[in-house]
Amino acid sequence: MKPLHYLTLILMILALIIALVPQNTTRPYKLTALQMLTEIRAGTQFVSPDEVADKIVKKDPSIQMIDVRNPREFDMFSLPGAINIPLQDILSETNFDLLNQGTKMNIFYSNGSTEANEAWLLTRQLGYQNNYVLQGGLNYWMETILNPMPPGNVISNDEIARYDFRKAASMAMGGGNISAIAPSAAAPAGTPKPGVVPVQKKKKASGGC
Amino acid sequence: MGPLAVNDIISPNTNFFLAFVIGIGFGFVLEQSGFSSSRKLAGLFYGYDMVVLKVFFTGGVTAMLGLLFFSLFGWVDLNLVYVNPTFLTSAIVGGLIMGAGFIMGGFCPGTSFCGAAIGKLDAMIFILGLFIGVYFFAFGYPMFETLYKSAPMSSPKISTMLNLSDGVFAFILVVVALGMFYLAEWVEKKFPREEY
Repeated sequence: MKPLHYLTLILMILALIIALVPQNTTRPYKLTALQMLTEIRAGTQFVSPDEVADKIVKKDPSIQMIDVRNPREFDMFSLPGAINIPLQDILSETNFDLLNQGTKMNIFYSNGSTEANEAWLLTRQLGYQNNYVLQGGLNYWMETILNPMPPGNVISNDEIARYDFRKAASMAMGGGNISAIAPSAAAPAGTPKPGVVPVQKKKKASGGC
Repeated sequence: MGPLAVNDIISPNTNFFLAFVIGIGFGFVLEQSGFSSSRKLAGLFYGYDMVVLKVFFTGGVTAMLGLLFFSLFGWVDLNLVYVNPTFLTSAIVGGLIMGAGFIMGGFCPGTSFCGAAIGKLDAMIFILGLFIGVYFFAFGYPMFETLYKSAPMSSPKISTMLNLSDGVFAFILVVVALGMFYLAEWVEKKFPREEY
């Protein structure tokens, strides 16, 4: 047999195999299933509402709130400084630079935490860093930050501090149950400035919990 | 896993080192296949020597099958492999200029360096011309910019355009390549040239 015949035979066999197997079984995803499972179980993607509120009140430039609900819901209510990337647009190329970057801390949020978590799962599997999820979503945010419940009778200092912080944060963001706050604090509620003062006082407390 | 450099499995320096080693291997194979002879290269256009066509088509088909198999085994993520963007007009114009230079000079850019490496004067003159062309293009870039950037197509795939899977298209291309090999054998017999 001539060399060309050998070549023909080998190339034809290989080409036939490649033509018959299903196309492109490689994953564009960077993390293996096991790595994902480990991260999901550890819950490292979650940021507590208190931490987020603290950063928002301080106007921390290192965070970017990302609302993954639809634009209608976003227009009705959104967190200060948030931008809207509906979940169905999460893979669009226009958002690539925003989601795959190494400087800011992106925090996804939705009404619950499901949609935000879905956004995080997708971006994480693509290997993007610095994306997080607001724990409990907006519903939990309402409960904890905008309308904090006063602690019960048997309370620790930590709990009081946390409650104070939440009240102050709520006030700073102009939301929630302002009437429940003491009159002296309620007066300047409209401006963000008084919010800053109590928050700094509470920072230690939020570190404690 | 792959591409190695993109996924940070090897450092950029290792990447350059590997490119260096592969480059030497490439040059060696070119030289050993006789590509440092301008007569052999020009033979493609006169029909007496089709080695150039055979070598480059074999190289292309092998790389294509290799990448598809690597992708199948999950060794390389084809989405991360960089492909030069296509600008259709400049590809056609550039192809014509390159082809004309190929026939006239008897070298393509890579083989001219091969020839120069073993001391061929015509190859060195060819490289000189190549650099004149490069400077002409670089300094005249504002003149060529519109032409250069017209008909941008990003990174199209013929398989996508034909609505075929990559595997089926690869199969067709292998059949075409093999057909060309047999045709080349026939052409070589038809236009023999003993001495060069």
